[in-house]
Amino acid sequence: MILTGDMIQQEIESGIITISPFDPKQVNPNSYNYRLGKKLRISHFDARGEVVFEDIEIPEDGLVLEPQRLYLGHTLEVIGSSKYATSLIGRSSLGRLGLFLQVSANLGHTFSRHSWTLEIFAAKAIRVYPLMKIGQVSFWQNQGELHRFPQRYAKFNSPMNSFGIPLASRESNLSTINSNGVPV
Amino acid sequence: MILTGLEILKEHSVGKIKISDFDESKITTNSYDLSLGNRYLRYTDEVIDVHKPANYEIIEFPESGLVLKPGDFILAETEECIGSDHYVPLIHGRSGTARAGLFAHITADLIDIGSYGKSTLQLYATLPIRIYRGMRIAQVTFWKPVGAISLYEGKYQGSDGPMPSFIYRDFEKEE
Repeated sequence: MILTGDMIQQEIESGIITISPFDPKQVNPNSYNYRLGKKLRISHFDARGEVVFEDIEIPEDGLVLEPQRLYLGHTLEVIGSSKYATSLIGRSSLGRLGLFLQVSANLGHTFSRHSWTLEIFAAKAIRVYPLMKIGQVSFWQNQGELHRFPQRYAKFNSPMNSFGIPLASRESNLSTINSNGVPV
Repeated sequence: MILTGLEILKEHSVGKIKISDFDESKITTNSYDLSLGNRYLRYTDEVIDVHKPANYEIIEFPESGLVLKPGDFILAETEECIGSDHYVPLIHGRSGTARAGLFAHITADLIDIGSYGKSTLQLYATLPIRIYRGMRIAQVTFWKPVGAISLYEGKYQGSDGPMPSFIYRDFEKEE
């Protein structure tokens, strides 16, 4: 079952959910609005066409995110719970502007408690500002015995790119797929 | 817990879930199918600034359908008004549309309890695709909450038509 806003607040007061810093004004009927932290990791192609990441701070007067480029941001807040599973999503107010967050991986595991890395993708050029309310987190009851499996990204509080997936360079001789769906 | 299709039907019949116009044939095993409404919204600004209202136009879908190119982004409306004071709705694309590379709802699947209206769909095409009004494009599921319920009173209540973002109001309040 999904927690209502009142229940989220109650569980924060009893220390079962962490959202820090917490502002009761950011509680919604069944979620909490989190803020965009200042650090941003931007993907680039270097001179050799390899993917590299550059870390910047989002200036006070904002930063224009370019379409079709992957940005990794982070939640200002440390968020987590040892009792509930979390779902992190973008706010509808930003999805409506073509700014997509956590498109493919919204699930936050129980026990992970940190500033979450945000996958950010803009369909249109858009200026964003540090500390703006950018997404929502909801909390879900578990069923079954809780066991803490190894975690990969839970110790990071800054935007963290993928460790596991090798990125191809832009010019690399990639195999492609023909019209029958067969790699060639 | 997620409601089954038969439970959605039952809770709709006693008014705990509102869907209008309701069509029993749109019930699925765990969800209700949503159809594409008549209008879509396209932003006309080169760069959008979340501090300012964005410029946009609202257009009716032609009878012959609308072709989206890869990378095109529009907002559309569902034909149905939906909402519940008892369950949390989640909006999803249909796998049939997603398999055609059309993402029908991307970043904010969670609807607040107590929010009613036509849902605004964020449509993003990764392949060229022609879409038509009335086509089944998305689905809604209903989830049981735990805890005391405070109903939604936000800025998108009673939406009719694709609603642009009102995020600039966040900053008016803060400044």
